[in-house]
Parts: sequence; structure tokens; C-alpha cells
Amino acid sequence: MSAPPDDLPKTRSWRDIPQEIAPRRMSTVGRRRLTMGAVRTLATVVALGAIGWGGFEIWRTLKNDPQRLAAMSDSRPLEEIKLTTDGVLDDAWLRRTMDLDPSDGLMELDIFALRSKLTASGQVRQAVLVREFPATLKVLLEERSPVVRLKARLGGPDARTFLVAHDGTVYDGEGYETMLVRSMPWLGGVRLIREGEGFQPLPGMEQLTDLIATARNGVPRRYATWRVVSMERMSSDGQIVVQTTEVPEIIFGVREDFYSQIARMDLILAETKRRTAAPVRSIDLSVGAAQVPVALHQPPGNLPDISFPR
Amino acid sequence: MRSKSRFIGAVEIGTAKVAVLIGEMVRDGTVNLIGFGECQSHGVIKGLVTDFKSASDATHSALLIAEQNAGVKIDEVYLAQSGGHLEGFYNQAAASVNAADNTVSQLDVDTVCRLAKAKALPEGRTVVHHIRRPFQLDGKMVGPNPEHLHGQRLEVGYWTVHGSESVIANSIHVIRGFNVLVGDMILSSLASGTMMTTPQDRQHGALVIDIGAGTTDYVLYRDGGPSVTGSIPVGGSHLTNDLTLGLRVTEGQAEKLKIRHGRALTMTRDKSEKVWLNGDFAIGDRQFSRRAIELITEARVRELFEVVKKKLSAELVPEHCAAGVFLTGGTSKLPAITDAATKVFGIPTVLGEMPPGMDDKLNRPQHSTVLGLLHFGLQNRASGGAAGRQRSRGLLQKLFTGS
Repeated sequence: MSAPPDDLPKTRSWRDIPQEIAPRRMSTVGRRRLTMGAVRTLATVVALGAIGWGGFEIWRTLKNDPQRLAAMSDSRPLEEIKLTTDGVLDDAWLRRTMDLDPSDGLMELDIFALRSKLTASGQVRQAVLVREFPATLKVLLEERSPVVRLKARLGGPDARTFLVAHDGTVYDGEGYETMLVRSMPWLGGVRLIREGEGFQPLPGMEQLTDLIATARNGVPRRYATWRVVSMERMSSDGQIVVQTTEVPEIIFGVREDFYSQIARMDLILAETKRRTAAPVRSIDLSVGAAQVPVALHQPPGNLPDISFPR
Repeated sequence: MRSKSRFIGAVEIGTAKVAVLIGEMVRDGTVNLIGFGECQSHGVIKGLVTDFKSASDATHSALLIAEQNAGVKIDEVYLAQSGGHLEGFYNQAAASVNAADNTVSQLDVDTVCRLAKAKALPEGRTVVHHIRRPFQLDGKMVGPNPEHLHGQRLEVGYWTVHGSESVIANSIHVIRGFNVLVGDMILSSLASGTMMTTPQDRQHGALVIDIGAGTTDYVLYRDGGPSVTGSIPVGGSHLTNDLTLGLRVTEGQAEKLKIRHGRALTMTRDKSEKVWLNGDFAIGDRQFSRRAIELITEARVRELFEVVKKKLSAELVPEHCAAGVFLTGGTSKLPAITDAATKVFGIPTVLGEMPPGMDDKLNRPQHSTVLGLLHFGLQNRASGGAAGRQRSRGLLQKLFTGS
């Protein structure tokens, strides 16, 4: 038999659907990835150009004036380290962490090894080291901000306090004001997994950070009473449980906007205080806006009739 | 070595959750699972994207979490496709063997395959999968490659799955909004079916039903390969909805009752037996009849299985489904659901199990689809399927897609 006729009906496959999409239809993350791709392309082109130009200059210098090249490679010992950071780390920490030999010349510094030493501390998100001739090393640090604190054992019998950043990184905080650390709630209900000298990042911290930021900005007075936030029920029931000095249990649902839940909590606490002397034992904000189960420290038969405006 | 690896993101945009699993495909054909991200889904109803921005935000969050978890950037995505817009039909073609000595050539195979696949679709429909059934040579079933065999008449049939072009384009554009390409699109049922069954099960005949939140996908295996697939827009969220209406509670409360007290077969005989909504005597806590909850969930589960049975109609013969029915998906955790399925299909039913050695975090029925996406994609690539035939991307394209 021969090949099939060419007039067979064409079936359209999903692969025929154009995947091109205008950058304005992309999300912020997508646009950032696109920009990073473009920047990478540009950087590659510039780097290749610079290598080519540098090679040409070296070749020209070697050909015309070889002594000049030898003189250029002699750098002076490091005289100054300039630190710029968006956080709390200081010069003393920087010098201690980098542990430099004072006799080292600027060109002898292993920039990559130094950067690894700096980023080994979980507090440093990014470190950029720049040689400024003739004898200055410029260090730019981008630090993580702590959201909650926790106690854990790591390399010793005693439990230590660690801080947790919004991306889930668990680290030894350094240089923070004691008041700031004490104002942060403790984190509970998480499983820490060892990784190298520290712990693996904790999942689900973005949502917890969102809740804490909403509470801190929206109801700072209430937030000041928060003592423990627990993520124990987060993956199973989608709940974050908060323990405060006023209420032993406030349950937030991660499926609903935290702003409205915080507002409801504030209203319930204010109204309860106004209408009854009995302290609140539990508030469950995770079941939706229509009904919020509230438990008081009082026998069930003696409950006051409380209904809150929605 | 990392430079020789490709990082594939298996993405399932479901009604209740968006799940992303990152696999590192190395040159020797193996895949390492290196990252996982999951997020509450928004803007997706019954498997269809109804709110582009919300669906994009949720999907991109899950992709970001997975990338951060893996510490790599995704090169391309294998996307699961589900929903009521998917339909399938069977088309068969036959051709005479061309050579004088009746030896089947590659041209004969290509010809009969092209003929069997050539069927015009209505406007606005696009093919998602062509699933080939075994070749037949002079009426006898032969292996996957009949080339060099002797015979006169070569036949083959394809189960073609097609879907709404606009719906599929929406889901592709959700992924493209993250600036990553969709490398392959795989039916959810085929993905989870690959994970839940062994080659022996598929050879003996098996039915895999993946009950998600908004949709239920099924695949019937015969003679070692998928024979019929389907998707119905009913899932676990409908059970919740029924409880919401039947018991006059909120959606959140109904979900709680379903998880704690729902059953696929009514066990409670005592009509007066009550269960508490929260059980903490708090304001707003209420009592409900346990039997009423079980009756509501049982009715919907039975209806769901009846619909699947009706859709499969003559294709589902117990003798050709010797390995039984396998249930997976989040709703398969409902107690007594295997008994309910056995009652409806008349075929022994089991809960699908992941292959041994799976990480605890992933060893859950609701993750069978994303795991299956990578597995199926890898198989497809190894067998020179659509994914394997892709034109390799140029340097500039790789740079611009951020991979």
C-alpha cells in the first residue's frame, strides 16, 4: 500500500496553542524571572566583552611594556574594611567572622571563601564583597529579619534560642536588641530537621509571617500579648494556634484572609470584656465568618447570652 | 552532575490545592525528587481556571515554595489536565501491508497510525492525548512494534482525549505567567494510574479512580495499557456542599464534619446518636445526627461511582478487570469507600498504594497525581514520546526563561 492521502483531517494538538505571553500578563515573579534572564544575557555579553578586552590589553602590555604589568599586580596590605548592611550586624562581627590575616594583600583575599564564611550565618541572606583599590575591602550585607523565636538543642546539652525568618531559615540571632527578641512570640508545633551545622528551613512560614505582620500592624496592643504561635495543625487542618496572656487558645484559619480574622478577634475580645467578667478560654476563627465558636472559663450551664454583630 | 540534569516541575492545579513536585532528571534516565511545594488553590472550580489572577497567584506561590525547597530553578513543567471539558473517543484504522513478502515496514506502521489518529475535531477542541491500543496483525494482537512481522492486514486503534482549547490555554498561560514553558501535558488519571498500578496490574486489567476535590478522574487499563479515560466534574467538595445544604452549616463546618464523621457506607443504625461539631462546649457548638452525616456522604459517593460506571458502560467487564479497582485522591481517605466501590462495580476494590520507599510527606493519596506526572513524563521521554521529541531550546531562550 502507499502512504496515506495528504488530505487527512488535521487534528489540533495542545502543542499548537501558542505559549508566548506578553510580559504584562505575567505575575511579578514571572516578570522578575524574565528580567533576571535578560540581565544574565547582558551580563554574559558584558563579561565576554570584558574578558576579550582584558586579554587584548594584557597582550598589548606584554608586548610593549612587560615591567608595567608586574608593578600593577603588587597590591598593598588591607587597610580598611567598609561594612554596609540593612540589618544589625556590626564591624566587630564582620572581622570576627572573616578572621583575616592583617598582612594579607587585597589581591590575596579569596573573595569566594570569605563570602561563604559570611553567608554560613543564617542571618546573612546575601553578601557582596568588592575590592576597592588600593587597600579597601567593601562588604555589602543583606540580612534576614526575624519573625518568631524558638528553643532547640544544637551541638550541646542545653537548649538555645534561635530566631526564624519569614523564609523559614532558623538562625542564631546576633546584634538584636533584647527588647526586640523578647517581643517576638515563641514558635511551637514544628519539627526541626538538622542540616549541616544548622536546621533545614521551616515550611509554611510565609503564612505565619503574614498573620504576625497583620496582627502587629493592625492590633499592636493585642499582638503584644501573643506568647506562643503553633503550626502543629497547619498542614493537617490549615490552622495556626496562638496563645496569648489573655486567651489560652486563638485559632486562625490559613484559608481566609488574616485581616478579617484579626478584626473579628479584636471585636470579640473587646465585646466579651465589656459584657462578661468571665475570661475567654478559646476563640476559633477558622470555621468562617458566619459563626465563631468562643469558649469562656465558665460552666456550660451558666453561659451568658452573647451574640456579636458581624 | 547538576549541569547534565534538567529540573522538571510536575504541577497539578486542583480545585482544593496546587501541588508542585520538582524532579531532577539525570542523563541516565533516572529522576530524583528534590523539592515539593503546596498551596491552597484559588480561582479554580471543578478543575477549570475561572479566575486567572487568583489561580496564577496560588500556582506561582506553590512553584516558588517548591523552587526554594529544591534550591533550583525549574526548566520546564509537566502539567496535569483534568476537568469536565475533557472527552474521549475511539477511532480504529486498518491498512494492507505494502511489501510483496508481507513484511510490515515502518511506513506501514506510520500509515496506519496516521489514519487512526486522523479524525476531525469540532471547532474549539484540541487533542490532549492519543492513547494507542495494541496493534493487530491479521486479527491477532501483536506487541508495541509490529515492524518486520509477517501479515497482510495491520490494524490499530487510538483512544483520543480532547478538551476545550480555551480551558487548556488558560491553564498553560497560568504556568507561562511564571515564565516557564509547559513541556508536556498529561491527564491526571494517567498520571495517578501510573503510580497506583504495576505493569502486571495493567496487563490483567485495572480501573484507577482518582477522586479529587472538584473532579474525579478515571482510567481503565487493559492489555498492559490505558484503554479508556475520563473525568467527571464531581469530587470531595460536593460531599462538603451536600453536608452544607443538608445540615445547614457553613462550608468550613461541613468540611470538618465530613473529615471527622463522614463515611461512604452508613454504619450507624441508631438515629439518636449525635456528634458534636467541635466538642468543646463553646458558643456555636452544635450536635448533629451521625446517621444523617453518613447517609448524605454515602448517597453522594454512591452516585459518583454510578456515574463512573455508566460512563464506562460496556468497557467495564469484571473479567477484564482482574487486578481490581484502585482508589486514590484526597477523597479516597473517606472510611469504607472501598466497600462502597465494590458494591457499585462488583469488582474487588483497594486503596491505591505508592511504590515502597516513598518519602512520608509524599506518601499520601492526594499526591499520587504529581508523582505520577514525573513518572509518566519520564516513561514518555524514554519511549520517545512527545516530551522526548521536543526541539532542544537555544542558548538565548534558555537564558531568557531563567533556566
